[in-house]
Amino acid sequence: MIIEISHFLSILSTGLFFLVGSFALTTNNTPYTSNLISRTYSHAFLFLSSSFLIYIWLAITDNFSVQYIANHSNSALPTFYKISSIWSAHEGSMFLWIFFLALWGFIFNIKIKNAEILKPKTMGIISLIIVGFLLFLLITSNPFITILPIAPLNGADINPVLQDPALAIHPPTLYLGYVGFVIPFACSLAFLINGDPDAKWEKLVNKWSVSAWVFLTVGITLGSWWAYYELGWGGYWFWDPVENVALMPWLAATAFLHSLSVSIKSSQLRTWTILLSITVFSLSLFGAFIVRSGIIDSVHSFANDPQRGLYLLAFIAVIIAASLSLFVSRLSLIKPSGNIKTFSKQSFISINNIFFVTLIFSVMLGVTYPLIYEYLYDQKISVGAPFYNAIFIPIVILASIFLFFSVDSKWSRSIDFRIFTKPIVLSLFFALTSTFAIYFIFKTNNIAILLTIFTGLIVIIRYLIEVWTALVYKKYLNVFSAIAHFALGLLLVSISFNSLLSTERALNIKINEFEEYKDLTIYFKDIRVRKDSNYDAIKAEFNIKDKYGNNFDLSPEKRRYFTRGQITTETAIYISPLRDIYLTIGDQLEDGSWIVNVQINFLIRWIWFSACLMAFAGIVLIFSNRKSNI
Amino acid sequence: MKILLKLIILILPASFIWMFFLLLTEDDSIIGADYRNFALPEFNLEQLDESIFIDSSDLGDDYIINVWASWCITCRVEHPYLMSLNNKGVPIIGLNYKDEKNDALEWLSKFGNPYERIIHDYKGTLALDLGVTGAPETFLVQNGKIIAHYQGEINESIWNEVFSPIIEEKELF
Repeated sequence: MIIEISHFLSILSTGLFFLVGSFALTTNNTPYTSNLISRTYSHAFLFLSSSFLIYIWLAITDNFSVQYIANHSNSALPTFYKISSIWSAHEGSMFLWIFFLALWGFIFNIKIKNAEILKPKTMGIISLIIVGFLLFLLITSNPFITILPIAPLNGADINPVLQDPALAIHPPTLYLGYVGFVIPFACSLAFLINGDPDAKWEKLVNKWSVSAWVFLTVGITLGSWWAYYELGWGGYWFWDPVENVALMPWLAATAFLHSLSVSIKSSQLRTWTILLSITVFSLSLFGAFIVRSGIIDSVHSFANDPQRGLYLLAFIAVIIAASLSLFVSRLSLIKPSGNIKTFSKQSFISINNIFFVTLIFSVMLGVTYPLIYEYLYDQKISVGAPFYNAIFIPIVILASIFLFFSVDSKWSRSIDFRIFTKPIVLSLFFALTSTFAIYFIFKTNNIAILLTIFTGLIVIIRYLIEVWTALVYKKYLNVFSAIAHFALGLLLVSISFNSLLSTERALNIKINEFEEYKDLTIYFKDIRVRKDSNYDAIKAEFNIKDKYGNNFDLSPEKRRYFTRGQITTETAIYISPLRDIYLTIGDQLEDGSWIVNVQINFLIRWIWFSACLMAFAGIVLIFSNRKSNI
Repeated sequence: MKILLKLIILILPASFIWMFFLLLTEDDSIIGADYRNFALPEFNLEQLDESIFIDSSDLGDDYIINVWASWCITCRVEHPYLMSLNNKGVPIIGLNYKDEKNDALEWLSKFGNPYERIIHDYKGTLALDLGVTGAPETFLVQNGKIIAHYQGEINESIWNEVFSPIIEEKELF
């Protein structure tokens, strides 16, 4: 009965959201109608959230008459994983996605006053998007389907690689980021529908966009971290199609935030900003499509059904067609206020927009090219790191150099462009000497890495000087921008050192033997077979000494889970500030030795730290009262 | 110039969507189906309902092998279809996968037995050799060679798409 109540509530909310959407888009603003829209939305959200909370309750209480819960949860799981099992597969995660979508709308609804001229239309657009997704959920992927009359006793089991805290929070964080961009998207469309060029939608959505961006950044970072220690791949980024479809909205969102700051400050680049807000949300939807249509094989793809793919594609097509036609028909509405002056902050940000759009197109090409190729020639090809490196490295280096010089630029003023100001000379000097030092110490001829380190360093040092002058001379400092760009510099340096220094080797090693690799002495102590409640495992024990006198034990494992026969590798990682020693165990050879993969990953923690620092910058902006800009 | 810009903005996403539509609809391969040929692995396992050991020579020439278990929910879903296949005269060999004997027998007495013979693969050794990733899975065997394989629940439409064309082509059963 309770299942039907939950099911019914979500159907009811679909109807109410539809009512909000159609009413908001067909009536004119009056205080009375905006009140009505706001309240009806809240009620629709109440129904939807009750439905979702009941669903969580069903999962916690092991209600296996719900087919989805029976297939993805198990009575033996801890409560935490019973809840996270909801988003371990397609139907439930779609439900979570919709709930978050509605939640953003709800928070927007209670935070923004009803008198705000753009609010009713914004709520209407959000509601219609929710309706589209709810129909998708209820028609093609209903999570409420029951197994009657006999419910299985214990349920199935969730995929063992998903039984992990990082992974339990990775999808919700990422979803919050993806759907959060519905706010700027809906606001910009409301602005276009409304047709009043003086309405300041940009100011309204600033903090909302930064919040969504923070979630997206953290979500991607968590995914990267999880793949590192759980999948046993040993890197931080693989240019996997699903990583790429998360990266594209992030790039678009970052460009959007930059462009937004200009539009808020000086009403310039408004066309760019609107187009980017549409792009961000479209790319989020595109990500959902790629993951859920099964068009690409990946660790992330859900069980697939062409029906779902077609529905999602049609839905995305409608959203994109509607928003872009609206944009094109109202293009004349947006009058830019004057030309952008050379070497003003605006000019740098418009260059930045172009860089980011180039990156987005390149990633899009990398994702779609193998698909097109397979369609035309029936052969599978993969586009991997070399392609992306070839495009990303030069563009990122160029963009960072522009960023470095933009620190001195002023809003709306074409400063007489002097290259040799004191901070610039200082940064260049220190960065250049450090880069030369690195060149001589590590004896590398890799120009791409040296250049990336150099540009990373100039950005870091330039912003450190900014912070220092702000502290000493009480000069104005945009804290958000300083932290975020400092983090970017740190990210570039960490990534460069990681690819310069990290090494790996597969060793053949017997029990009770020593093996040398770089400065490591690896001693293979023992190997044991171990049984757990739902898997058996072989567990190898190693003792490792390094040249710094550290002496530690590492025990990588290989597990086979009973229920699905799935084999997983459990990595063993020794973490230190500068480098990770990363061990995985492979197969046994005929002579009795084991294949052990040893990786030394330099500065890998710093990569995630930099990404978190960027997200932290966003949090600083959200909680600062100043009307900040980027 | 402005018209051109407008057109580009509209046509670019439209062509992307059109491309994905083509990709989605044109793809005629069936996910989960696999037509690699390989020999049925050697095995010697106990039969589920009798205490005798059987190997591949006991199974006949052409048949399908269906991997199932009493703990497998999807197996229960596909079970009625297997019954109807059996009625149509398709010989089905059951591969009872990592299952307790009593549970499996009880399951069969409750829902019916569509299988000619059932191999009790308690440790999953044969399933491992077959490359089974979970239950249910179905293999089509001709003269000791596996010629088609499907992972997941089989039903009328899967049967007609994955197995029927080959069965008709090779004139099996």
